[in-house]
Amino acid sequence: MIKISGLTKHYGDIVAVDNLSLEIRKGEIFGLLGPNGAGKTTTIKILTTLSKPDAGSCIIDGFDVVRNPYEIKTRIGVMPQENNLDRELTAYENLLIYGMLHHASLLPEKIERILKMVELWDRKNSVVSKFSGGMQRRLLIARALLTEPAVLFLDEPTIGLDPQIRRQLWEVIRKTKIDGRTVVLTTHYIEEAELLCDRVCIVFKGRLIALDTPENLKKTVGEYAVDMIDDMGKLIQYMFKTRDEAHEKAKQLQNGVTIRRSNLEDVFMKLTGGKIE
Amino acid sequence: MMIMDWYPVFLREMLLFKRKLFKLGYLFSAMIVPIIYMITFGLGLGRNVRMNGTDYLNYLIPGLVAMSSMTNSYTWVASSLNLNRLYFKTFQVTVQSPIHSSAIMIGEVLAGMVKGLFASGLIIMVGFIAAKGFHISAFFIVMLLLNGFMFASLGVIIGMITKSHEDTSTYNNFFIMPMSFFSGTFFPVDRMPDFLQVVISIFPLTHTNILIRKSALYADGLVSFAVIVTYAVIFFIYGSLLIKRYSE
Repeated sequence: MIKISGLTKHYGDIVAVDNLSLEIRKGEIFGLLGPNGAGKTTTIKILTTLSKPDAGSCIIDGFDVVRNPYEIKTRIGVMPQENNLDRELTAYENLLIYGMLHHASLLPEKIERILKMVELWDRKNSVVSKFSGGMQRRLLIARALLTEPAVLFLDEPTIGLDPQIRRQLWEVIRKTKIDGRTVVLTTHYIEEAELLCDRVCIVFKGRLIALDTPENLKKTVGEYAVDMIDDMGKLIQYMFKTRDEAHEKAKQLQNGVTIRRSNLEDVFMKLTGGKIE
Repeated sequence: MMIMDWYPVFLREMLLFKRKLFKLGYLFSAMIVPIIYMITFGLGLGRNVRMNGTDYLNYLIPGLVAMSSMTNSYTWVASSLNLNRLYFKTFQVTVQSPIHSSAIMIGEVLAGMVKGLFASGLIIMVGFIAAKGFHISAFFIVMLLLNGFMFASLGVIIGMITKSHEDTSTYNNFFIMPMSFFSGTFFPVDRMPDFLQVVISIFPLTHTNILIRKSALYADGLVSFAVIVTYAVIFFIYGSLLIKRYSE
């Protein structure tokens, strides 16, 4: 569905995206995971025609993002990291203008359906500035879905939301996959990548570090982790393939040990030597 | 369908404008500057002045109408585009939609014209009340529309090239303010020193002020008319190009 080859983008002396190549399959939820400044947002901006790459190419559904921006724009929906709703307009008006800009047919029916899906129908005539952060994020995703795009881009969809509201939004994102839509999301939340994504690409300093399903990525570091805080207060981690091995190690060590399943943070740490968050 | 692509861009601006209108602060701030000028120069300084054989107020009001059409068309477009692009990021929604850059340009410019017309309409009403000899012709309206189109297009250019919101006021102070005062709003340009007249003749507003005081387009106004149309076309094309080339 999406093919990125040798994508590179500089901002002055800073390399935001560095020779990135990857493919995203039709119908999958694909995650770009990495710390802030890893080049995730820049990649999304290029894929969504907002930014022009210095080198490399991106093909979506057979169309090049630089040469065929019009065809790309008719196929994608974007939920940006920053809330860019019109705060002084109502929820309904925001969707109406967006739908008209995208030549959407049967607009009133579509707006009603999508607002009901994100549970904002009863607030359709409220001005967006009166909405809570979670409601605004829900409206943003509703707007991105309004035109039933083949590819949905979500840039840090749950950034800054409290855990309960984050879970609500995850439900919405999972629903979007049902009709075979391809979803590309960026996140620096480990849990989000693990729970939502079919495949995850770990990016660091604009480069691809690893790409696979969350399970396979975790297998590369071992599925179990033993965490221990030493006398100096420093966290020491041991990774193991099986639970028995982890138990064995925990017995040898003193108190203050925790055994847990490994996560993508462990993968990231092993590959880069640093933490994501 | 394509021919109406500008409409949602325009509609969005109008919906936002409607909300602003209900906050009375907007109405007053659109009117306050021209009214201060009218009181200061028209009633204060100009009470005993006669200009071209009529009352000074009759000379001044068309100038104030042109000035408010300029400042309102320009400022609203420039500052809202600047804010929408840099702070609210709503401009990104528009450029990410499958419409041509010229459709965005048309929508923004038409919205700017409406705002400019609205403000100058208020001054026209005040003019009818304050000055007995004040009247408007069809040509006056044409000039007002053309002036609004030209300065709204300039507003798009400035809104697209400014790097911060503070920049907008720099352009205001260096271009819009001098133009308001020197382009024949308050007194005829021929009273200025020769070297300044050359500079002033480059200002687009100068030519609006020449034409807006005429009852129709005669041979002596053709040069000014050509200057305004040329500016309007250049501003419009350049503004569309800036939108087309937009990249973060």
